[in-house]
Amino acid sequence: MILIIGGSYQGKTKYAYSAFPEARFLNQVHLFIKKRIEEGKTENEILAEIRAIVKDDEWVLIADDIGNGVVPIDLTERKWREACGRILIELAKDSKEVYRVILGIGQRIK
Amino acid sequence: MITLIYGGSGSGKSAFAEDYVLNTHIINRFYLATMMSSDEESKNRIQRHRKLRDGKGFVTLEHGTDIVNAITEIESISTGEFSTYSNDESIVLLECMSNLVANEMFADGRMCSAGECADKILTDIKKLNECVTRLVVVTNNIFEDGKSYDEGTKEYMRSLGKINLKLREMAHETYEVVVGIGIKI
Repeated sequence: MILIIGGSYQGKTKYAYSAFPEARFLNQVHLFIKKRIEEGKTENEILAEIRAIVKDDEWVLIADDIGNGVVPIDLTERKWREACGRILIELAKDSKEVYRVILGIGQRIK
Repeated sequence: MITLIYGGSGSGKSAFAEDYVLNTHIINRFYLATMMSSDEESKNRIQRHRKLRDGKGFVTLEHGTDIVNAITEIESISTGEFSTYSNDESIVLLECMSNLVANEMFADGRMCSAGECADKILTDIKKLNECVTRLVVVTNNIFEDGKSYDEGTKEYMRSLGKINLKLREMAHETYEVVVGIGIKI
């Protein structure tokens, strides 16, 4: 499994498709997590669900890094942000490679 | 000697910082906590961090403002006055700057300017740094959500931004933490 992380509109998807044309993609992982948080799922449940999806084949996970802002006033937003961070840390540990994309350039950080 | 550790919320910067401290092999390890428990959420946060540090041999010191007040505590423990062993070397992990700035800026019900607040904190940091072998400062990236905020929040952001830049100049090493991975910058 490969994880691709970065800010919005940094060209992550394009980078992922060109660097790993044979892979299967799980894109917008941060929004997947948001939906599950809104449904009342816990961090561990969401992580288990993602792990079950990506357990076979060569998967590339793409997610926005949403932690680099001011603490949101809304509780659900805060929960989402926290869960996103924690889940992505665990997915990064699972990944054999991690890339951070800035301005379309993928920087391998693991 | 200062090490700066920068990252967003939930980036894994705390765990990275703790491992960094353990890797120095300095025995006198202090955790200087700046978050004050005001509500259930911050209590849970503090609890999570305590669990993370459990068994890592940190002495926890709590100072929401005026971190120089930690110096006498650190010195008395490091020199053996309140400890069974004595060792000159000490390392302090300060976590985190964003809480310290908020506490200092809005202390006593009045708000100080970004510059005043930054100067005060940086003076305290220098004093603290002179009294310890190593100082590791955890600070936050709150600057990339593209939203516009009220003047109070902007002033707070300015102050934290100023401090981050200055600390980066003072630091001998700076890391940015992304999904738990430290990138030396």
